Amino acid sequence: MVMRNTNDDEKMQNLIDEFKKDISSKNNEILGYHDKIDALEQEIIRLQKLIPGETSKLKVKREKPEDIFDPDGASAVIVKDLVKQFGDVTAVNGINLDIKKGELFGLLGPNGAGKTTTINMLVGLLDPTEGTASVGGYDVKRDLNKIKEIIGVCPQEPAVFKFLKGRENVELFGNLFEMDKNVLKERADKFFEASGLKEASNRKAKGYSGGMLRQLNLIIALINDPKIIFLDEPTVGMDPRVRRKTWTFIGDLKQKDKTIILTTHYIEEAEALCDRVGIIDYGELIALGSPKELMKKHDAKNLEEVFMKITGRRILEGV
Amino acid sequence: MMQRVLALVKMELLKLIREPANLFLNMLFPAILTLVFGLAFGGLGGGDSSLFDTMAPGLFAYACIFLIMTVAMSFTDDRESGLLKRINVTPTTSTQFIGSHIITNMFIAVFQLAIVFLLSLLMGFRPNVDVLGVIMAFVFMLFLSLCSVGLGLITATIAKSAGAASGISFIFILPQMFFGTFMPLTEATRVIAAFLPSYYVTEAITTIFNGVSPFAVEILMQLGIIALMSIIIVILGIFLFKKYGKV
Repeated sequence: MVMRNTNDDEKMQNLIDEFKKDISSKNNEILGYHDKIDALEQEIIRLQKLIPGETSKLKVKREKPEDIFDPDGASAVIVKDLVKQFGDVTAVNGINLDIKKGELFGLLGPNGAGKTTTINMLVGLLDPTEGTASVGGYDVKRDLNKIKEIIGVCPQEPAVFKFLKGRENVELFGNLFEMDKNVLKERADKFFEASGLKEASNRKAKGYSGGMLRQLNLIIALINDPKIIFLDEPTVGMDPRVRRKTWTFIGDLKQKDKTIILTTHYIEEAEALCDRVGIIDYGELIALGSPKELMKKHDAKNLEEVFMKITGRRILEGV
Repeated sequence: MMQRVLALVKMELLKLIREPANLFLNMLFPAILTLVFGLAFGGLGGGDSSLFDTMAPGLFAYACIFLIMTVAMSFTDDRESGLLKRINVTPTTSTQFIGSHIITNMFIAVFQLAIVFLLSLLMGFRPNVDVLGVIMAFVFMLFLSLCSVGLGLITATIAKSAGAASGISFIFILPQMFFGTFMPLTEATRVIAAFLPSYYVTEAITTIFNGVSPFAVEILMQLGIIALMSIIIVILGIFLFKKYGKV
């Protein structure tokens, strides 16, 4: 029979405490330590069961996942082993990410690679099949309502009420975030002015061009002054002039300490804007780093070459 | 919370005014129907009352039944254009969203009843009713609009597009049109009618407009039935749409 005394409990508690201290100083190894803590706790529970009639004084206190993932509070988005399956199809296959506050992070990948599915899980539109993620320190499975208060989402296809005027659309979504009327008007004015939609803001969106709809789509995503912004292909369908203007606009957001997660097909857009990029293919994260790091690592002249080398090789290898 | 609901109600009402199909179906159609029926049947029938007098209460319910189609089309249209997803990533809860639809459609039902009632009076309809009776008729219509929202949600759950929704909604519209409004019922169709919300509303309004007290036992029983039906249908609609509606 396994015997255990109070000293064992104290030793075990000390071990856990040491691990936690270690975790605080080694943020990069957090995910691995989390698994070790899990295993340790399981072992404690197993040992407790082996001693009949004895109640352990050892309390296994689980930290909240966000505390363990992000002890220094520097991360805006943390993704751990995220999986999404639709029937037999695995759209996202075990993605791990740590996006820092104030970072402009690009998510690249061919069509159907799993970029939008990943974002949809982060904003609560899809439930992960496996794994977990936190946005702004909140767990996507438990604290979705809190997440929705601090994010702005710009969907791939412009989602606006066509029978409403541009301004009415923006005011509607501002009201859904329960914004103060004056602040809402002020921000709407500022965005319409900056985007060049001031004149059109009092016209029904039905008459907008594709580019104007995309700009309105972006304004709606930003109206609540979100801390974390998800931009899903925000510049598709914009002419080069408006696209450049939107790049400047997105760049300005970064200056305001916003965390931006950008998915795009335009590799030059990612190269110009992003601090780091992650390349997803077949639902897996196959490259991660700053554009310069990736170019150096893959001996490429630009990010597009990196993209083609990595994703092209996977096609040739039949992955 | 109220800021969100009011913003959504305002948006839905603007949709009604600015979308010609919605405006026609919800406002002009009942008005035209009342005028046509008034002209066609106003002079027919024997005794003190015309055929139109017996049909008028059914017309009130008739207009409200078509809310099923507009609600279903509105939900499927918003889903197709990604607007339900967009609203879903704001702090708006599904209760607030669906609640705003219920409030909007109750408004519409009140407008419809007012239009049909006034036009019916214009076409010679003279109900034997006091103010309390008219208020009770409005209460019945509010419950019927609630049923229509619920059935609209069920339709939107099944339908993949707004076009499909308009067709599928007739599954719920047709039986109510034929067996729950002004059409004469046989023994067999009366059995079917017992499951239709509009039947109880038409029966109750007809009775009230014939001079029976709005607080008579039979009226209150019908009110209880329609209230229960509307609650069950709305809860079922919300449950099905949330689970299978593919927001």
